[in-house]
Amino acid sequence: MLKVALLSALAYFICYGGNWLIGQNMADRPIVIGAVTGLLLGDLGQGLIIGATLEAVFMGSVNIGGQISADHSAATVFAVAFATNAALKPSAALTIAVPIGILMGFVTMGVNNVLLTAFAPLMDKWAHEGNEKGLLIYLNFGVWFVKNLFFSAIVFLGVYLGYNAVAAFVDAIPPVIMTGLTVCGQLLPAVGLALLMKMIWSTEIGIYYLLGFVLYNYFKLPIIAVATVGIILVVLTAYRDMEINKLQRQHVTAGNESNNDSELEDFLQ
Amino acid sequence: MKFMSDLSKEDRKMVNSIAWRSLNAHCSRVGGQARQMAIGFLWQIMPALDRYYKDQPEKKREAMERHVQFCNVSNAIYPFLAGIVASMEKENSEVDDFDTSSIVAVKAALMGPLAGIGDSLLFSVVRVIAASIGISFALQGSILGPIIFFLIYNTCTMILRFGSAYVGFASGRQFITSMYKNGTLSILTKCAGMLGLIMVGAMTASTVKFSTAIMIPIAGGDPVALQSSLDTLFLGLVPLLLTFGCKKMLDKNVNINYIMLGILALSIVMAVLHIV
Repeated sequence: MLKVALLSALAYFICYGGNWLIGQNMADRPIVIGAVTGLLLGDLGQGLIIGATLEAVFMGSVNIGGQISADHSAATVFAVAFATNAALKPSAALTIAVPIGILMGFVTMGVNNVLLTAFAPLMDKWAHEGNEKGLLIYLNFGVWFVKNLFFSAIVFLGVYLGYNAVAAFVDAIPPVIMTGLTVCGQLLPAVGLALLMKMIWSTEIGIYYLLGFVLYNYFKLPIIAVATVGIILVVLTAYRDMEINKLQRQHVTAGNESNNDSELEDFLQ
Repeated sequence: MKFMSDLSKEDRKMVNSIAWRSLNAHCSRVGGQARQMAIGFLWQIMPALDRYYKDQPEKKREAMERHVQFCNVSNAIYPFLAGIVASMEKENSEVDDFDTSSIVAVKAALMGPLAGIGDSLLFSVVRVIAASIGISFALQGSILGPIIFFLIYNTCTMILRFGSAYVGFASGRQFITSMYKNGTLSILTKCAGMLGLIMVGAMTASTVKFSTAIMIPIAGGDPVALQSSLDTLFLGLVPLLLTFGCKKMLDKNVNINYIMLGILALSIVMAVLHIV
């Protein structure tokens, strides 16, 4: 079982880690990670079929963060590992894959949304010091490596200890901690958005913040529609401001009319 | 496109570099929910900072501080934003009184719509089409299944990646310089700030979530959920107040660490007390 567990963890590291390292290339999707796990474990056919089955099941779920959803990559690795070894049917493998999917969903959410937030002040400090190596090598690639090594270690342990141990462990996590961390992950974007707001805030335009908020919450507009409404307002304002700008300049240098605004007008059209 | 044709060899080298680097832009998510893919943005924009601020270390540091703040766009369309920002950083390196808040405003205005377009195009359209073809092969035990899925998806994203980097840089470069010379850049700053704030407002509504589980007992009747009363008062009241509270604290230079720790502690306490 040790060898199977190691190879499963390797498959997870390559596919899940690789997905995030290189352009969100979808190697973490069940259809790919299932095949890779099957290949490593010596039963490609089983990996392909389980991967395809789970791909259909998880079609709607993409890891965007914020919510705990079962981690489809870990679930697939787990299902393939047990199906090849214990000769389970693909349909039964899905049921067995759910606990580790939930566990990994919980772990990745906790690490990505909550734990990594602790690095935010270090990012500011190193940016202030101009520490390029620290930011780009340690924080970008270093954090990627450590994080995915950790996730893969959990897959290793899960496969090594088996289904019953994982299911018992998931049951033992106090629901209070789960809810607390989920709520925290849902509240934390407020800090980042507040910082962004602070950087572009001015009293004259501050009220537009509420417009975006209300358009999304009350009018239920999708983000693209909110942007469209915003663009309409912005274009109207830009034209008005340019008129005022023009009039002021005409006033100052009477008779010396300029045609400087044509390029912005081109842009806005 | 006519504005694409006059890019110099150096420009092309930089834009290609931005597009290649965008591949790694989502790898660490360091800074968690408070920063999202910010470090990936810095990683992409670095070729531009290296080139334009070669002899201006002070401005380069300021730019780095600017670009470790909250940012999130779909991976394959990220270079579009980086391309536009590169053209603005170029202008900032050449003139002394460039208003750098316009760079932040442009980022804030574009990231929401770009993330929305990118996510729905790539995840809901390209991925689903690629997966449906891949699944039909893989279910028959054919190795072509995952390969076709992987190739379709990644060919589309690579085209989008390079295309968007060029369009972003070339269009940004064409307009930013002339606006600066016209004196209309202050209008751009204001307008980008407006759109930025609208989008930050919408992003607050879409990403900051809170719902309380408290039930108010009514004598002789069914208990009433406090959340529904709050929703009647103002939909999303708690996220709005929390975000403004964070901004007020940041205005007063409260250490951001303490704010985040406070939110974590508050969340756990609320969970223990069954408030959420």
